[in-house]
Amino acid sequence: MSTQDKVKINQLPTGVPGLDEIVGGGLPEFSFNIIAGAPGSGKTTLAHQFVFANATPERPALYFTVLGESAIKMLRYQQQYTFFDPAMLPGAIRFINLSQVVLEKDLGAVLEEITKEVEKSNPAVVVVDSFRTMVRKPESDMDLQSFIQRLALYLASWQATTFLIGEYAEEELRDNPIFTVADGLFWLRQTAERNSIVRKLQIIKLRGQDSVPGLHTFRITDAGVQAFSRTFGLTARKRNPPGDRRLTFGVPELDSMLDGGVREGDSVLIAGSSGTGKSVLATQFIAEGIRQGEPGIVAVFEERPQAYAERAASLGLDLETPQKDGKLTILYLRPLDLSVDETMHSILDAVQKIGAKRLVIDSLAGFEMALSPGFRADFRESLYRMIFALTGIGVTIVSTVEVDESFTEFPFSTYSISFLTDDIIRLRYVSIDGQLRKIMVVIKMRGGNHAKDIREYEITSKGVVILGKRLTAYQGLISGIPVHSGRSDPKEETLQEPGIGNEG
Amino acid sequence: MTATPGMRDLAHRLLMYEASVGKNSEPIESPTLRVYEKLRQGLGEFAGVAGFQSLASRALALARTEAPSLSAARISADGALEGLGEIEHQMNTDRDRATEYAAGGGGIILISRLLGLLLVFLGEALTLSLLRVTWPGSALDDCNSDNGRKA
Repeated sequence: MSTQDKVKINQLPTGVPGLDEIVGGGLPEFSFNIIAGAPGSGKTTLAHQFVFANATPERPALYFTVLGESAIKMLRYQQQYTFFDPAMLPGAIRFINLSQVVLEKDLGAVLEEITKEVEKSNPAVVVVDSFRTMVRKPESDMDLQSFIQRLALYLASWQATTFLIGEYAEEELRDNPIFTVADGLFWLRQTAERNSIVRKLQIIKLRGQDSVPGLHTFRITDAGVQAFSRTFGLTARKRNPPGDRRLTFGVPELDSMLDGGVREGDSVLIAGSSGTGKSVLATQFIAEGIRQGEPGIVAVFEERPQAYAERAASLGLDLETPQKDGKLTILYLRPLDLSVDETMHSILDAVQKIGAKRLVIDSLAGFEMALSPGFRADFRESLYRMIFALTGIGVTIVSTVEVDESFTEFPFSTYSISFLTDDIIRLRYVSIDGQLRKIMVVIKMRGGNHAKDIREYEITSKGVVILGKRLTAYQGLISGIPVHSGRSDPKEETLQEPGIGNEG
Repeated sequence: MTATPGMRDLAHRLLMYEASVGKNSEPIESPTLRVYEKLRQGLGEFAGVAGFQSLASRALALARTEAPSLSAARISADGALEGLGEIEHQMNTDRDRATEYAAGGGGIILISRLLGLLLVFLGEALTLSLLRVTWPGSALDDCNSDNGRKA
């Protein structure tokens, strides 16, 4: 059968930011869906958003309320959301209470009542909230499965897209005939993780189109439900092929060590202990990008944007002007209850808004602390998805990470995330001649040549400044307690040319 | 606490509208009952019989504190207003009604209390949206936002 012969399934907007992408573009028209979850998980709000996004006076939405929440109270609370438009009631959206029918009659009468109203109104959308409460009557002469099947058949024939809302526990998912009938099954979960609440959404099934599998974070704000796809909405985008362009730090010696700079689209990790200048170097990377006409984003977690800009100013780097000019955004992501997906959403919005080419995450430790405890367990996996998604669209990422300084080890990161990064720059303290000095080395540069030199540097009023040539007069520099090798003064040494430490 | 002037004004308009519309209808029915029944039909659809009944009972209880003459009225299980006929049976002329409404009689107080509760629970915009389905704009004229805020 050719593509032309196939029936086209129209997709309706869900009205929930982020959810269209998760369901594969929109909700299939005339589908019969169940929204399930525990009380308070956002089922009614989700249904309302769909209703307000799709109802018209010509093809209205019928919202049947049953023995659950009082309809008046439901409207009282729901109208607090920004999507709620009172003018749509009752012309485009009609709320119909079936509690009397349910109390006094049986499921057959409920079906009859729904049928009567549907034939009267010709609705595009039908919601039954909560259908679970009306099927709990033991004396019903029509069994639940039969009721659901007839309702599904009838509403599809009348070209209505339908949502049944029900309180279900996870264990009820198995072997439940109701879920077999449904075309779409949306499961909302909220779990307490220490002192934070984590909300997640799963499309367990959706006939007729590809939805994004897995658990997606969602949040309920005054705008209603907002979903964050675990693929960040970037699955459909073609990955940019790695380019040859190099992005410089604006520290000539370092750029030289990096064989001309960081490859565009790379993820770079700057690792070092406290005070080694990780943030300074990252700030120089952003400032250099702006100088070269490449907009940038800085995601900070440990200080406010104003403080960040002031610190940059003390290094002679102007971050105020590019912010005003729309070339730089400093994101301060509110701490303690974020998911990586939400953070990603904020960063992506900013990237798209200003066409950012460079991104600094300062720092990964701060990022992790800003997350809800429930998300911290998935930090590495989430970070991998985020880096993969962002670098795939050509953004070059510089992340800073604090490592515990040890004089016996030389760790790259406390997160075991070095495999996520293309390039690693390691900063550390070293004890030389009775002074605590700083050294820098490029540990890794995927697919590129980099110098193996260990260079001494200082943090000055102009930022990170690399001193002299490579240090050849000492052995055991990376241990932090080197010994003098008896060789000539490092200042006499010739800078080693890049191309020696080639890593794949 | 009494019914707000805004709600009383809105109730007055609805009652006057129904009084004028009901002139030619048989049998003669109290405008208060006509307004109440229309509210019952309109609100009952989404609030349910029990939902409307409880709301109306609350309105009647509040109204009785202002109009003791309503002590004979009651709300039945299906939400119908009973016992109002005896209160209003003596108002056979428009002038009687106008005087009664202006003086804040039982009917107008009950309706204004019911509208006031709707305003409290649903807000001005949604309440007026629902009323517009039942009554023409002319009957609701002057129901500007001040009414809601005063309420």
